[in-house]
This record gives sequence, structure tokens and C-alpha cells, in this order.
Amino acid sequence: MDAFFNINFLTELLLSTIRMATPILFVALAETYSERAGLVNIGLDGIMSFGALIGFLIGYKTGSPTVGILAGALSGIAINMVYAFCTIHLCAPQIVYGMAINIFAPALASFIYRLSFSDTSTLIQGVSMKALPIPVLSSIPVLGPLFFNHIPLVYFAYLLVPATAVFFNRTKAGLNFKAVGEFPKAAETLGINVIFQKYLACIICGALAGVGGAYLTICYTSTYSEGIVAGRGFIALSAVIFGRWMPSGVLLACLLFGFCDALQIRLQLLSPSTPYQLLQMIPYLCTLFVLAFFGIRKSGPKANGQPYYREER
Amino acid sequence: MKKTMKTASLIMAAVLTAMSLAACGGTAAPTKAETSAAETSATEAAKAETTKAAETKAAETTKASGYKVAMVLDSSVSDGGWGASCYQAMVNAAKDSGWETVYTDNVATADFTTVMTDYAELGYNLIFAPGNQYTDAVKQVAEEYPDIKFALLNGTVETKNITSILPDAKQIGYMAGALAGLMSKTNNIGFIGGMELDTTKAKLECYEKAAKKVNPDIKVSSAYAGSFSDTAKGKEIASSMVSTYDVDVMFGDASAVDTGAREALAGSEGRYDIGQPGDLGSVDNKIIICSVVTDNAALLKACMKDVEADTFGGKTIYGDLSNGCLSIGTFSNAVPQDIQKQYKEIVDQIKAETYIQ
Repeated sequence: MDAFFNINFLTELLLSTIRMATPILFVALAETYSERAGLVNIGLDGIMSFGALIGFLIGYKTGSPTVGILAGALSGIAINMVYAFCTIHLCAPQIVYGMAINIFAPALASFIYRLSFSDTSTLIQGVSMKALPIPVLSSIPVLGPLFFNHIPLVYFAYLLVPATAVFFNRTKAGLNFKAVGEFPKAAETLGINVIFQKYLACIICGALAGVGGAYLTICYTSTYSEGIVAGRGFIALSAVIFGRWMPSGVLLACLLFGFCDALQIRLQLLSPSTPYQLLQMIPYLCTLFVLAFFGIRKSGPKANGQPYYREER
Repeated sequence: MKKTMKTASLIMAAVLTAMSLAACGGTAAPTKAETSAAETSATEAAKAETTKAAETKAAETTKASGYKVAMVLDSSVSDGGWGASCYQAMVNAAKDSGWETVYTDNVATADFTTVMTDYAELGYNLIFAPGNQYTDAVKQVAEEYPDIKFALLNGTVETKNITSILPDAKQIGYMAGALAGLMSKTNNIGFIGGMELDTTKAKLECYEKAAKKVNPDIKVSSAYAGSFSDTAKGKEIASSMVSTYDVDVMFGDASAVDTGAREALAGSEGRYDIGQPGDLGSVDNKIIICSVVTDNAALLKACMKDVEADTFGGKTIYGDLSNGCLSIGTFSNAVPQDIQKQYKEIVDQIKAETYIQ
């Protein structure tokens, strides 16, 4: 048990929490934007897999992680446009189309992977993003490595949280954006272009989810394997409900999940006699528990998940 | 307006379904019709730069025996681990025997029987199921199609038309453990499993036994990723082993997850990984010190011979050191000569089954 309370162990645990929470945070913020405009997008897993592949592929071809990340974002937008067109213009059921993306995008990704690399017996190594320690701050003991010695994308993810909060609560554009998810009819009468706002939501959602995917193949590891997303999109989906559609809540939810997952791995090492299946349940049990007690449906956008018929009274 | 929108959305739904079906079909399409000759020539083209003329010649000279083998896989053939190595094994065995190959990958557990039945209906002579998890499906389909032969890797079933192929998981574990024990300087070694399969458990147990035999002070840390494809999880597990227990040699049984684990070891001096099931290392590899190589192709070729000679079924083909199906891979420079020599002696003892009784 002394291993547990040593400072190194705790630092490593928190560091690993931050690493594991980052991809989920990107995607959960993506979903926050989408749902704030009234679009429930359960196709996050699919968008992530596609972003993961395209990001990896372009990074590998150009040798630049930044270009790879941008390509991941663009590919996420491209895939999400299918969802956007069907749900916004055609008012199709959002859940069905989200599911369709989940089936379609990973299949397309593995198809493209095989076209590019045929069948190899080892995974192809791509590029990886280097850490960017912030001068002075990163040399503070304990806190330095924890907060100021990461790759640029990690800072970006965590800065996105206050930025999103300010956007939603302090800017006119953000309030207009939110109005679309609350009561689109009223928003329209006030001169807000509802269709435009919903498309904007889908573009932001696609880009962030694509980056979340590309993070896995460019920053976390430098290889692409089919199934690398491993259900992170669905975890992000629950993190949004858990965080009550607020950026700060979403951040908390992602950190909690990351912490449980990091802890789970270490508990497996510390107590080999405990069946690992039990320990692997911890992050999910935790989510389930918190959702049951803190997930209030009322706090979500009122018109969430409903199609908007512009000409209907 | 609302009505036309509904109609339009229905049409869109149909188009999208068709698109995703096309995408699914697309993944399978290039694999369905290919013959082994075409596939191998494709890989050869990637590996060695042979001229196109030479390749077509090779394709022509490959003796066409008229036999066909099909493989059903729940993961992907490009997973850089188990799936890839089993697929390569089938292709290599088929090339030598002049068989035609097809595969379907990413098959959900519920669809195992459907896909196998399809291949049986199409008259494939041999269906290759690479793993213990296909046992029930194989049993069911084999009963319905007594004329079709089934090869079950890591299986324990023997019937008239099912042959099990069983590489010796214990010997694999001993081989990896002995090397890890010899190479560890911190006396801490690690093991990462994908899922708690029988073969994985056996490998872990024997890995520990052999490591403790060469170095009684060794401590083994083990963890399961709960996945064979989550490379990020593999990296996270490996770095937690390094930071918590100062683990310096690792061995894994989790396909793509192992690749992630190796990434965690990259960049730190003196931390190594042992590869499997292919020969993954090379002389100047800084991380993979050696591999425990399983030659599934040879085992599968034995099955094919049985099909051709009509002596198939009712037995288990074992793969171990004594018949050459297990072997030591390429050592990297990081392994000193005296340890290589010592290790080879131990492997000889494992082969003679005198090392651990």
C-alpha cells in the first residue's frame, strides 16, 4: 500500500488521467456544441474513427503532425455533413442517422486503410506530435510536469473549455446559438438563422470529433489500428449528459472518467489477485452512478433531438 | 411540405444505407475474388521490387490444385498482430500448396455461423477458424456440412471433419519468460493480455515460472487491456508498469495493444519488449529484443495435406519446438552474446521438456 501514497505514483496517476481524458474531452465538447443547437449526434464514434484514419494517413504522407490534425478535423466535418444534411434539411430522425454514421464511417476508414497499406503484418508507424513544455512554469516541481509539459493539442483542449463557457454565456453569438437548441421557432422570429446555426454546430462538432480521433493516432500513439477508438465516442456522449451540457461539467466528467480508467490500470498492477474484469468496470460503474444521481434531463436544451420544420406552425 | 420532406428523408435514408452497404461490400470486395497467387504477388510487389512480367509468370507457374480455403476472422487482417499473422499463415500455406484463399474479417460473434455456412455452401474444401472463440460456431456448421473440413486454431475439438491446431502456449510462455528473466536488470518484468483466454492465462503462468527459474528475484506485473485493438490503452498500461514497478522487459499477448505498449518503451534506455507471434524484431531494433515465432503456416499446411490425401479429421496437430513450429526469432544487438548462448541452451531444455517439469 505504500506504493499508493508515494508522490511519484500520484503524479503519474494524475498525468495519465489528463492524457486519457483529452480525446474524450475533445469529442464531448463537440457533442456539447451539437446538442446546444438541438442536434443529438450519436455518430461520434464513427466520426472519430474516420478522423483517426485520415489524420494518421495525411500525417504519414506529409510527415507533419499539424497537417495531420487539420486533415483529421476536415475529414470529421466532411463525414458530419452527411448527418447535417439529412437531419437539418430533411428533418430525418437524428438517432437513426447518428447510428448510420457509426456503421458507415469506420467501414470506410478500414477500406481506405487497406487501399493505402494493403495487408501488413506489423502496424505502420506514422508521425507523432512532440511535447511543448512551457518555459519556467514546466520546471515547477509536481505541478510543472502535470500541467505545463504536454503536447500543444492538450493545452488547446483544456483552453477550449473556458472559451466555450465564455462563448455560450457571455457573447451574443453564443446566446443566439443556444436559443436555437432551446426554442428554434422563437429564435427564428428574432431574426436568427436557425438553419445556419445548426450547420455551424455540425461543422464545429465534426471538426472537434475529428481532432479527437486524430489525437489518438498522432499524439497518443503513432499508429492506426482498426478499433482504436474503442467506444470513446459513447463515453463522450454520456459525459455531456453527466456534465449537464455545460463545458465545466463536461470537463469534470471527462476527468473523472480518465481518472477511473487510469486508476483501474494501476489497481490491476497493485492487486493481481483481483479479477481484472471487476476493475475494468470501475469507470463505467462510476459513470452509471453519477448519471443516476446527477443526470437531470431538465437541464438539457429544450428542443434537443427534435427536427425543426421551418414552415410548420 | 412536411410530407415531401419525409419522402425526401426516406430517399436519403435509402441512399445512405446503400452507401454503407457498398462500403461494407467494398471492404470485402477486393478479398473475395482474389486467388492466392494474386494476393501474394501483391505483397511481393510491396516487399521486393520484382518486375511485373516476372510476377505474372510466377502466377502462371503456381500449380492450381483446385482446392480452396476460407478464413473467418473477428478482428481485422491488418491489425498488425494476431489477425495479420493468421492471415499471412493462410496465404503462405496456400501458396505452397497451390490453394485458393478468401477471407471475411471483422465478423461479429453472432455472424460466425452465417459466414461459415456461406463458405460451406460455396464448396470451400477447408474453413480456417483462427481461435478458440470460434469453437461453437465450427461445431455447429461442421455437423451440418460433413463434407467440408474445418481447421480450428487453439482448438480442443476433434471430430470427423474438425482438426484442431494447437501451438504450445506453455512453451511460448517459457520461452518469453526465460529471456525476460535473463534480460531484466531491475528484476521486474511485465505481461499485457488482451482478454483472459485460456491460452493467454497459460502463457502468463509459464512466463512467470520460467522467469523465476532463471532469476528467483523476478517479480511479474500483469494487466489486461480488455481489447485487442486499443493501442492507446496498451501505451498507458506499459507506462504505468514502468512508473509503478520499474518494469524493464515486457511480453504481450494482445495484438495491436502490444504495439501501443512498445511505443511507451520507446525513448527510454534499457527497456525492452519480446514480440510474438511473427518475427517482429531485427538486429538493430532498440525495443524488440527477440520474438517467439509461431509458424502457423506449417501447421495449416499439414491440414491442407490431410485434406488432399483424404486423411483429415479426428486429430489435433500440435505445434511446438520439437516439430519446428515454434522457434526463436531474430535477436537484437541489445542482447549480449553470452545471454544469447545461455538462452539457446534453455530453449533446448524446453524443447526436451526437461526445463520445467
